[in-house]
Amino acid sequence: MSQGITLAPSRQLKKRYRAEKRFKAYCIAALLLALAFLVVFFSDMIRQGYSAFVQTEIKVDVTYNEDTVKFTNESVTEDVSPLISRAFYRTIPRQVEANPDLMNTTQTRWLTATAHVDQYRKGYSDRLDPELKATLDRLESEGRVSYGFNSGLFFSGDSKIPSNAGLWSAFVGSFYVMIVVLVVSFPIGVATAIYLEEFAPDNRFTQGIEININNLAAVPSILFGLLGLAIFINFFGVPRSSALAGGLTLSLMTLPVIIISTRAALKAVPQNIRQGAQAVGASRWQAIRDHVLPLSLPGILTGTIIGIAQAIGETAPLLLIGMIAYIPDAPTSMTEAATVLPAQIYTWSGMPEGAYVSLTAAGILVLLTLLITLNATAVILRNRFERRW
Amino acid sequence: MRTRDLTGDNTQVVNVPTTERPRVNQNMKMKVHDLEVWYGEKQALHGVSMDVVENEVTALIGPSGCGKSTFLRCLNRMNDLIPDVRIKGEVEFENQNIYAPEVDVVELRSHIGMVFQKPNPFPKSIYDNIAYAPKILGQVRKRTDMEDLVEHSLKRAGLWEEVKDRLQMPGLSLSGGQQQRLCIARAIAVSPSVLLMDEPCSALDPVATATVEQLIDELKENYTIVIVTHNLQQAARVAGYTAFFHLGNIVEYSDTDSLFTHPREKKTEDYITGRYG
Repeated sequence: MSQGITLAPSRQLKKRYRAEKRFKAYCIAALLLALAFLVVFFSDMIRQGYSAFVQTEIKVDVTYNEDTVKFTNESVTEDVSPLISRAFYRTIPRQVEANPDLMNTTQTRWLTATAHVDQYRKGYSDRLDPELKATLDRLESEGRVSYGFNSGLFFSGDSKIPSNAGLWSAFVGSFYVMIVVLVVSFPIGVATAIYLEEFAPDNRFTQGIEININNLAAVPSILFGLLGLAIFINFFGVPRSSALAGGLTLSLMTLPVIIISTRAALKAVPQNIRQGAQAVGASRWQAIRDHVLPLSLPGILTGTIIGIAQAIGETAPLLLIGMIAYIPDAPTSMTEAATVLPAQIYTWSGMPEGAYVSLTAAGILVLLTLLITLNATAVILRNRFERRW
Repeated sequence: MRTRDLTGDNTQVVNVPTTERPRVNQNMKMKVHDLEVWYGEKQALHGVSMDVVENEVTALIGPSGCGKSTFLRCLNRMNDLIPDVRIKGEVEFENQNIYAPEVDVVELRSHIGMVFQKPNPFPKSIYDNIAYAPKILGQVRKRTDMEDLVEHSLKRAGLWEEVKDRLQMPGLSLSGGQQQRLCIARAIAVSPSVLLMDEPCSALDPVATATVEQLIDELKENYTIVIVTHNLQQAARVAGYTAFFHLGNIVEYSDTDSLFTHPREKKTEDYITGRYG
């Protein structure tokens, strides 16, 4: 047999290698394509959105007296007055009320410019009155115009004045919704999963439940909105547009996610841990509580966080229960009308003023950051505490 | 013979005469009568009867699938955990049928401990591994008593010297042999009178195996031990009595010396000489 054996690759083997290379190339191409989409998406969002994080500010002298409290736009000189956002003038009576010492004084302030000025300076639009342009150029040459961090984006509610519009009420709404989802779906989901995985007999009935839970995870989310409208609002009378109604509706969506991931986490705990506990005289529940649950907790939390992140990013079901309203002031309770981050983005995307385009993109960036943080937490939790047998 | 109460009242069960028992003058710890087990449609045990001698090591040997593990797991009703299992017959322990309706399995298992094939310490500290069962069973309440019990159990399992300085380390950080001895310590911490061992050495290296075997030999003074093993030499080394299982029946059951040197049955001889199985 020593004759005729060559260790160089045969023709057939070469063909196999070529096929392997081709396959690898397809996979890499797919990966690159996906990455390219991601890069295009992010760079577009950042390009459109970054400018909303800063805002044009103008340094002006503000005069407080009897007249300017009544005719607030007279508090600054007539030529500069149209450059300043209306949102500021509105606050003058309140400022004086809060601090009576301001009366009959003149203060130098950096004030937010109107969206028109802002858009013009950022180069998005040229539709600024020539007179105003001249004033702006003059102010600019005097060093009285600059960009400041747009804190209003985070700390004020929605507004019809684009330079004053922010995400605060949506933040609060999303936070309430998240609390409701957590409080409702976590205990119910985990308890359901424990029953199905650890106690339920394996029969037609439980199999049916299992199939239905898996199907629920695939139901289009807008149907959950209809269900929420019919059950929570029309039947139980939960206030329309409220964080409570939204949270309950999103809980329906999150439940299957939590149930499925909890079951997977419980299944991953080896049988011999349960047997070991029961062999030393632990009851079934003691074995689960003391050994199985602590081991599966990272998996359960990961699933919960992912489920909640999904709920936070969901819009469709909320449209049906009215959480798409214009909410300038943050809700102070679960039953007040509220909006959430994705709904706020949706609202902004439909606004006619150009300034809302940047705001929409900025809102998307904020939402994405929030979701990526949540998902990263889930991944870190999983990697940190996951145990392998 | 001490009588332990598994049910809360002292119901005495009539002794059932059994067929297979070594002809010796020793107390019988457990008496199994006509035990039949089905997994779904498949019958795993066909009416097995045998007695377990007190304070002795009884080895169960036989080819894979012969029912020896099934038999062992019937002795503390671990088989109850398997769905679709049906069990008929009687297992008498302390004059009570452990399959009687009034017997509580959780109570039963605190009297009949078990050590598994693969070491399965709880993913907790060494200390908590031992302390867990006495705590949930309410046997020990004071901290100092618990510390004494942990030390005592680890000493009985021959592990104390190796771990006394790191009781708070996770049990899973120990080597395989140490883990198995930890599991034995855990099992004896609740002071059972019977220890069931399901191939306790099959996942261990020869050195760890030797340590565990020596431990088994020491433990038989205080405990009645039933051990399933695939290793015939091990049965010969540690067991006073050996039962040979085949196809869900006991073929032969006698003291280990006679079984290995003068087997009565042809099948036994074939198996121990390696001609089949």
